[in-house]
Amino acid sequence: MISGSSIVQSLLSGLLEGGNYALYSLGLAFVFGILRIINLAHGEVVVLGGYVAYWTLVRYGVGPVLSMPLAAAAGGALGWLTYRLFLRRVREAPELNTLILTFGVGIFLTNLFLQLWTGDLRSIEVDWLQRPLTLGPIRASVGELAAFGFSVAAVLGLQAFLHRTRAGKAIRVTAIDRDSAALAGIDVERVDRGAFAIGGLLAGIAGPVLGILANVSPGVGGPLTVKAFILTVLAGVGSISGLIAAGMILGVGEALTVTFFSSSYRELFGFTLFLGILLARPSGLFGRRI
Amino acid sequence: MRWPGSGLRVTEGTAAALFFGALALLPLALSFNPYYLSILVAALVLGSVAVSWNVLAGLCGQVSFGHAGFFGLGAYASAILAMRAGWSPWLAMAGAGVAGVAVSLLIGLPSFKLRGPYFALAILGFAEVLKLLALNLDSLTGGSQGIFGVPPPTALRLGGLTADFEASRTANYYLAGLLLLLVWGAAVLLRRSRAGVAMATVHADEEAAAGIGVPVLRTKATALAVSAFFTALLGAFYAHYVHYLDPDSAFDGAWSIMPIVAALFGGMSTLVGPAVGALVITGLDEFLFKRLFESGHQLFFGLLLAAVIVWAPSGLLGGRVRRPTT
Repeated sequence: MISGSSIVQSLLSGLLEGGNYALYSLGLAFVFGILRIINLAHGEVVVLGGYVAYWTLVRYGVGPVLSMPLAAAAGGALGWLTYRLFLRRVREAPELNTLILTFGVGIFLTNLFLQLWTGDLRSIEVDWLQRPLTLGPIRASVGELAAFGFSVAAVLGLQAFLHRTRAGKAIRVTAIDRDSAALAGIDVERVDRGAFAIGGLLAGIAGPVLGILANVSPGVGGPLTVKAFILTVLAGVGSISGLIAAGMILGVGEALTVTFFSSSYRELFGFTLFLGILLARPSGLFGRRI
Repeated sequence: MRWPGSGLRVTEGTAAALFFGALALLPLALSFNPYYLSILVAALVLGSVAVSWNVLAGLCGQVSFGHAGFFGLGAYASAILAMRAGWSPWLAMAGAGVAGVAVSLLIGLPSFKLRGPYFALAILGFAEVLKLLALNLDSLTGGSQGIFGVPPPTALRLGGLTADFEASRTANYYLAGLLLLLVWGAAVLLRRSRAGVAMATVHADEEAAAGIGVPVLRTKATALAVSAFFTALLGAFYAHYVHYLDPDSAFDGAWSIMPIVAALFGGMSTLVGPAVGALVITGLDEFLFKRLFESGHQLFFGLLLAAVIVWAPSGLLGGRVRRPTT
């Protein structure tokens, strides 16, 4: 018998988890929306951010909140480097080339992590973040709530950046009409490079959160990319704020699947939702231009 | 980038004749060393899957990131047909190919409404679903425990010669070689057919193809069905060759990744290139990468994939093999 409180608990966990899904997906959704590149190495960049936070904690005792800028910088640098080394050379080639390219970069990174840091699962353990908060039979940890708040802030921050700053406006204009943007004096090549680096930064910043709430290992990059892509499609390409709602739908759906069926069917929910959305409404739930 | 010696140009028929001739003689040159033969069998299986993958990608322009799904499906279907339904392994392998076609149509018909990247990732999604099903349908698949004791193909007698697939690596090697020849031959016939011309048109420009009356959806579905048939067939061969299946090995992501590396490396614009690529990368992997890095040797394939697509997108053979003018 499934009790009422366990349903409420799984709803809450799902909603909180959904907020984090939005954060994990932000970089991929942003790059896809702006550059029309699906970065299949996205999950690996998140993992890199996680490793940065993990090692700064283990080696130097620096907590994940303080190491977050470092994780973001590592992700941003990796994004910038990927663009400089490879992506700019295949910008004009068919779309699928960039897909295969980033797929290759992802495989490279996964195996590099495996080589450097073994396949062990690393989790970032900090006391104050693990402290449980209870309300009657319902419980959540400080870390879960903080991560949720941070995810929402990151999504809103990105929105504000795109709409309020000169750089953000340049990025949006370039995404909408590349040729006109170039004519208006925007250095579109620089915008591309910058946007891809921002995508990496957004992925890197999600890493410490992943390490706090779950764990970091070379193998989680791929599934993370797939999840980010599912969410991007669900929200609708170009809809950044839609990611939070889409994340919550996925999170709650997964949590309820676990409660009512079995944890082994958890992933099946995401894929079914993904395929259903792709086939029934390819523009996503909140699809519109940025 | 031009590969060294790229002045040399041959027709694809010549390249294929040289390649298959060398394959036939290779065991003699290696004096039937079982260790080398087992590596070569793996290379040939990969080669066949790479050629199959390239029927979809090279002929029709549809990249799949989920061929592990068809491979694992074929492996499981054949093992189950042979062990539960009591079919002869040969018949079960053919049955696995048919199962591959059925599932590919189920997947393909809705997914082909999606363009390029969406299709590639939808297939990836389906492959994950198939793996999850193999994990969860315990009564049929044995769940995560897997299936032990998958029987080898029954021995064949031809005159005084006996091909014993249980004991002889050489027999398995030649069977894998014949399968590769079969896949390649089917791909060549397909390219020459009406459907093949339609695929080339869809590859070049989907909208223009639709404009001149090419049935785009049917053309893509045909390419996927052929590709899935042979990938499932090879998965079936693999099951009867290694005698053991579990979801992680049968649906291993490597079965999605390595055919792409092999096909790109060998040259996607040719039909024999992916097979050559598979042999070369398997050799590199066994004799170089795995010795450098025990874990994480796939790192090199990631790098290779990125380097080839940026600097040598036509691959090893792409620039050297003349396409027949049809």
